[in-house]
Amino acid sequence: MSAALTVKNTAADALHLENIVKHFDGAVALAGASLRVRRGTVHGLVGQNGAGKSTLIKLLAGLHQPDEGRIEIDGQTYGKLTPHQVEELGIHFIHQDRLLVPTFTVGETLFLGREPRIAGTPFLDRRLMQRRASEILNDYFGVRLPNSALISELSTAEKQIVQITRALLDQPKVLVFDEPTAALVRREADILFRLIRRLRDEGVTIVYISHYLNEIEELCDHVTVLRNGEDVATLALGETSAAAIARLMVARDIEEMFPKRSIAPGKDILTLNRLSSRGKYHDISVTLRRGEVLGLTGLLGSGAKDLIRTLFGLETATSGTIEIDGKPVRSVNPAQSVDRHLALVPEDRRANGVALDLSVTENITLSSLKRFTQLGFLDFRRERREADDLIGRLEIKAAGRDALVRTLSGGNQQKVAIAKWLSRHSEIYLLDEPTVGVDIGSKVEIYNLIGDLAARGAGIIVLSSDLPELIGITDRILVLFRGSIVREFVSPETSPDEVLAASTGSSEALRHVG
Amino acid sequence: MSVDIQLAPVIRFDPGEAAFGSARGGNLAATALRAGSLIAFAVILVVFSLTAPYFLSLGNIGNVLGQSAISGVLAIGLTIVLIAGGSNVVTGGIDLSLAANMGLSAAVYATAVQLGYGDATAVVAALVTGGLIGVVNAVAVVGAGIVPLLATLAVMNIVAGLELVLTQNTVIPAATPLLTAVSSSGPFGIPVLAYVLLAFALIAAAIVQYTPTGLRLYAVGEFPDAARAAGLAVRRLVAGAFIASGLCGGFAGILSVSNLSGSTTGSGEMLLPVVVTALLGSVFSRRLVPTVIGTLLSTLFVGFLVNGFQLLNISSVLVSGVQGLLILLVVSATTLLRK
Repeated sequence: MSAALTVKNTAADALHLENIVKHFDGAVALAGASLRVRRGTVHGLVGQNGAGKSTLIKLLAGLHQPDEGRIEIDGQTYGKLTPHQVEELGIHFIHQDRLLVPTFTVGETLFLGREPRIAGTPFLDRRLMQRRASEILNDYFGVRLPNSALISELSTAEKQIVQITRALLDQPKVLVFDEPTAALVRREADILFRLIRRLRDEGVTIVYISHYLNEIEELCDHVTVLRNGEDVATLALGETSAAAIARLMVARDIEEMFPKRSIAPGKDILTLNRLSSRGKYHDISVTLRRGEVLGLTGLLGSGAKDLIRTLFGLETATSGTIEIDGKPVRSVNPAQSVDRHLALVPEDRRANGVALDLSVTENITLSSLKRFTQLGFLDFRRERREADDLIGRLEIKAAGRDALVRTLSGGNQQKVAIAKWLSRHSEIYLLDEPTVGVDIGSKVEIYNLIGDLAARGAGIIVLSSDLPELIGITDRILVLFRGSIVREFVSPETSPDEVLAASTGSSEALRHVG
Repeated sequence: MSVDIQLAPVIRFDPGEAAFGSARGGNLAATALRAGSLIAFAVILVVFSLTAPYFLSLGNIGNVLGQSAISGVLAIGLTIVLIAGGSNVVTGGIDLSLAANMGLSAAVYATAVQLGYGDATAVVAALVTGGLIGVVNAVAVVGAGIVPLLATLAVMNIVAGLELVLTQNTVIPAATPLLTAVSSSGPFGIPVLAYVLLAFALIAAAIVQYTPTGLRLYAVGEFPDAARAAGLAVRRLVAGAFIASGLCGGFAGILSVSNLSGSTTGSGEMLLPVVVTALLGSVFSRRLVPTVIGTLLSTLFVGFLVNGFQLLNISSVLVSGVQGLLILLVVSATTLLRK
């Protein structure tokens, strides 16, 4: 930044993030990820949820600071970036959550932070702001918006266009798009792609993050694949295909072992009969047996998550029946579910799975306090005994039973979340993405724990988008697509590619259904 | 999130749909509520002007303006904090120390006069007092990260305590040329305080509504992340709003000394009416956000309400009832709009 250091800039890389490590509250978000983007190219960044894309981008934006690693921009190394500095360097972000003030007009939004003034006065030139705003929107996008329209009155696509336009006003050197097409219809997306190509031809470097691999294929020059917080490959698009990228996203290192044991399934414990919820899922019939681990997977919006929430009573089904231990269950709410020995380990454990500021003991006994209460008072000694017992059995690594759960690693927090239900003597476990943000060592321990639960006769449903994991730890897998079960796989006989194809509704995969 | 790799977009090609045809005009219920409160305002004023013969006379209007000057200045100060802190009443911007600030500033002015200082020194002393209270609020909120509701509540207690120490809980009389001038009548027989309120509101409105700084205050309050992304100095702007509000408290203190010919106890009772007035003000803006002019209008509305009840010999107890009802309308409108 300083003038003395402005040597002639000949670096071929616009961005170079090297070996970035970042932890959040004990969970590993990035474990040595690198990203190298050549000047004037469109560079794709892909990876499954939890692979570390958003964290990497937030570090680049200066919103978080890396624990380790270095960031090089235009050949200059920065230890610590602030959002303001990043903007000065010409790096701009089109965020997934559109950062626009809802009560501002388009003109105010575009010029916030660099407002034009009426010449010779300290006052805003609103008329100029409005006129320039309409001109710019018209030039770049051929879009006309009423001058008085507020951001809160615009459609999602319009908001995004306003945000891109705002970035363009700064003559950016690097533009980072985070899932820009998620809310756009095809025609709007085409306009966006044309614009991105035009910008690249004008010398702007583009980083493009998307789940839609066909867009990556269509638009990008290079792509970096992130997996488990590390970059596994950077490829030129001419040499690869969407299918190859998908394989890289889900592939697994050999060292990772799935300790699946064979357990003879027992009696039926949970039966769903033509369960439907309007607009979410329909005609779901499933039987879960004691000792069985059933996998469930599907894209966002497939209904898999809603199904899990319904089973625990967080949502209601519109038709169909649920039977637990052969007895039909009518009304369901979470309190009743707990009494019926259902356990839910939610995906966002820090928000919903554990109480971060309570101790390990308090978390473990939270759902089963009745067992530890005598004459209305808690029996701390029995509570402690229970906690010590479960800490030992689950090998929870904590400074002690009185340690706050906040201080535990992600994997150990998850074990506490499961221990809570063990203490409640739960028998049907609904595990929603149980290993997201958990390091590999703890993952294996959680897999072992799931095996233990099954061996003790519990019925387990695992919802996961980590397909090798799902195949490794379950007996069979149900794939949901647009609210229906489209395929059932016997876990040992399938592959991640096959499951992925079924969950994306690929026609080839669905042909097998018959 | 479930699996979210997608090889093909699911339902995204829709050639028939107009790409940019969103619903304009916003939320119907919110619009209706806002219109409802405005109509209620208008109806009340019309009823008064028809039933109370002097209600619409120039003299009466001037009186209402003059009587509203002190609460108006305080409400405008609070408005600045509401803008920069966001409209969430619990976690957003609020300055509960404003009324106590006015009391202490007034006491400082009166004490300075008693000690033989002139008007200029006393004015500076009162404004410095108000500004310092603003600085303390700013440090507590921005520096220490305390929620404004709690931070300014604590400061309110400290300031009220200081006032007691300074005045020994008595009235300190003060009479100076400036104080006499401000409390007298101006052109058209309208109190000077009325002109002061209008001039103050115009200056504040010019700054808040028509300068880049004002626009940035709104961005900071409405959506701090967006403001940060736009490279704004969020902390500095929030701190500035609290200091501005503190200065308004100091200014109101001067007006209060003039109006009452001295410092007086019990300034804390002004607080809740001022908070209510400032919250009510957002109904006068199309975007349902706090604005200086909106707050001025709502101050005057409340002033006219009290005045109308007095002219009609109706108990002014009803004033708070009507105010409360309108607050409910306005707050539900803003809440609905933000959904």
